Amino acid sequence: MDNKKLWGSVLAELELSLSKANFHTWFKDTAVTKQEEGMVYLNVPNAFVKDWLYNKYHRDILKALRTYGENVRSLEYVVSKDEGRKKEGEATRQATPIQSNELPLNDYYINKEDNLNPKYTFDSFVVGPFNDLAFAASQAVIKKPGTAYNPLFVYGNTGHGKTHLIQAIGNSLKGGNPGRKIFYVTSETFAVDYITSVQNNKPNQFKEKYRKYDVLIMDDIQFLSKKTQTQEELFHLFNALYENNKQIVFSSDKHPNYIPDLEERLKSRFSAGMIVEIPPPDYESRVAILKAKAKQNNFTLSDEAIDYLSSSIEGNIRELEGVLNSIICQTQLKNSELGLADIKNLIKNTSKPKKNISPKDIIKIISDFYNIEETSIYEKTRKKEIVKPRQLIMYILREDFNVSYPSIGQKLGGRDHTTVMHSCEKIKNDLKVDQLLVQELSRIRALI
Amino acid sequence: MKIECTKEKLFGAVSKAEKISGKHLTLPVLSCILLEAKKNALYVRATNLDVGVEISFPVKVDEEGIVAVSGSVLSGFLSNLYTDKNIKLETIKGNLSLTGGKTSITIKSLPHEDFPTIPKIQDGTVFHLESTDLLKGLTSVWYASGTSSMKPELSSVYMYAEDDSLVFVATDSFRLAEKRIKTKKPKDFSHVLIPFKNVLEIVRIFEEVKGEITVEANKNQISFSAEGIYLTSRVVDGVFPDYKQIIPKKFGTEVILLKQDLVNTLKISNIFSDSFRQVHMKADPKKEVFEVQTKNADVGESISSPEAALTGEPIEINFNFKYIMDCFQSIDADSVSLEFSALNRPMVMRGVADRSFTYLVMPMNK
Repeated sequence: MDNKKLWGSVLAELELSLSKANFHTWFKDTAVTKQEEGMVYLNVPNAFVKDWLYNKYHRDILKALRTYGENVRSLEYVVSKDEGRKKEGEATRQATPIQSNELPLNDYYINKEDNLNPKYTFDSFVVGPFNDLAFAASQAVIKKPGTAYNPLFVYGNTGHGKTHLIQAIGNSLKGGNPGRKIFYVTSETFAVDYITSVQNNKPNQFKEKYRKYDVLIMDDIQFLSKKTQTQEELFHLFNALYENNKQIVFSSDKHPNYIPDLEERLKSRFSAGMIVEIPPPDYESRVAILKAKAKQNNFTLSDEAIDYLSSSIEGNIRELEGVLNSIICQTQLKNSELGLADIKNLIKNTSKPKKNISPKDIIKIISDFYNIEETSIYEKTRKKEIVKPRQLIMYILREDFNVSYPSIGQKLGGRDHTTVMHSCEKIKNDLKVDQLLVQELSRIRALI
Repeated sequence: MKIECTKEKLFGAVSKAEKISGKHLTLPVLSCILLEAKKNALYVRATNLDVGVEISFPVKVDEEGIVAVSGSVLSGFLSNLYTDKNIKLETIKGNLSLTGGKTSITIKSLPHEDFPTIPKIQDGTVFHLESTDLLKGLTSVWYASGTSSMKPELSSVYMYAEDDSLVFVATDSFRLAEKRIKTKKPKDFSHVLIPFKNVLEIVRIFEEVKGEITVEANKNQISFSAEGIYLTSRVVDGVFPDYKQIIPKKFGTEVILLKQDLVNTLKISNIFSDSFRQVHMKADPKKEVFEVQTKNADVGESISSPEAALTGEPIEINFNFKYIMDCFQSIDADSVSLEFSALNRPMVMRGVADRSFTYLVMPMNK
């Protein structure tokens, strides 16, 4: 019989023999948590209850337990705080170390004057091949704010580190000269601010507020699309700051030219400075990021786990961070290091499975693309319209999937490995001169 | 039960125990105190299932016995009884009858079988402490603890052993008080979190006790015993924040002034403080000016500049009046030092030449 059922029946019996007040005072928040070799462990909320149950009701409880449970020999009382809600008393005690990581007096709170979050600094920013251009641009801005690249426009998909980068610019400019007035604002707050100022009939206050800053950092500019009045206000603000050589930094998830419903004059102004993209992090950068994040949390992760995580989670740094957090949490709960299997199990919902593609699928995709019969690829025909797709298949299998020459030959109708080598070489050379082929290849790769 | 004792002793024990007894509990016997006469002593017990207390003192026992009666009725009677005669207690038909001087009363009793036992601590670590030290430590910090039940570790007083001191800390995350009491290093004792409500009871009950208190703690309970008083309290199962990292190590500005001057200045400032009780402090060491300003649109404004010795950088910063005021009860020195490090960092207050007490206040940000 399971713990809950057993204790339920015992309580039902005890309730009959006790006064209501007594029953509620002493048996509230009690639960059986474990049965082991005839030993029943009963969780009680405090030492008073423990003493009292033992002194007063021990025999009654034991008798009832023996009636309903099998082989009950003895009863142990355990003082624990959250028994009703938690299944096991153990979990409550081990969950506490997590709280110790919290900072009590909001040390890391956001400074009201500049809105910057002190946790975003360049010390914690991982520079890799994917973001070194953006990093270099921001360093130039820090060296010569207002003159080097004005405005600096950073764009990239969500979770690639835009906010971290631009806030770090702000923090580092602040560190270099505390007297400098820096302001970080999301475009949403900016819009709300503007609307409120219009409502309160104080547009001048709004203008003055933003024009006094030496460095203005505006995040997620794409949300301004369709807000024409706010855009116009931004336009004027931009001009005022720009003319006075004040540094402006923008971020967005798209290139300014692709933000829908953004005024032309704003687009052209954004293009006047420097536009840098932060593409998705490559494998090596993901490894570096994971290591850095683990170190920040004082957590050691085995090399194989890092390797597995970096290869299975692509693109989004936030996702990497989330998975790492859940691994840390699980480790603290279980109090033992997680194996690779545990980690795989843990992230099976968070990470998107890597597509498994067989050579057959590729043959199908390419033959569909060129509108030829799939079987004709395997045949020994040298028709031009068949040869080219066949060579492309070989090239893709070799370049993208690292299949060996002999096995490619075998899979494509028992061809010799030198034939495959020749085909790959040929496509490689053709790609250098044939722009059409380059385009076709990229379209095929997108299909895969 | 049939006993005889002096009124003072009985009243002292009953009034202490009575305040602990539970008020709004489902079990009526918990609002009672239990009197037990056994082997020439009377045991007075009360509990609210969070704290339990047992006070014993020698009496003349003619007949042993137990009775549970309402604590408020008994202490109400004793506090208004003026007699220098001894009091006689006797159970008659299960009810308690008292005779003192020319007055006699009978109090209805409840079944004493339902009255819970006061748990004794098993496998705890034991150490001894002067009662003045314990009380000083607890009263110096408890007011800084939070009152929310959401974070039980913050609505507690954290007591831990470090080097040759016992350290008491409390914080509600807006301010923090720390008191170090030099004592023999308690063996094996590491730390404990006592709920601040129970701290009040501990202070009240041991207020008049002189001499050594024996403390015993395990992971669920802590107990204090001395001179026939035994008190046990639940402890909080949690981790107190690692507060040391938020105490600033370096200071940009230091202001030293007479404690009484600062108290008077703040009291005046408070009259003109706004609904957030904000006081604005301005220190300019170059001009040797320390100013405390408050402003309330409905009342008016105040500027006072008490005499002070200043060093370091100029700073202007805001605080909540209440949080600053609270700490003066724990500072014994005549002069206090205010140390500022940055606009968003806490101010550190200490008595000059008294490093045992440290108080931190977070600034207010507009």
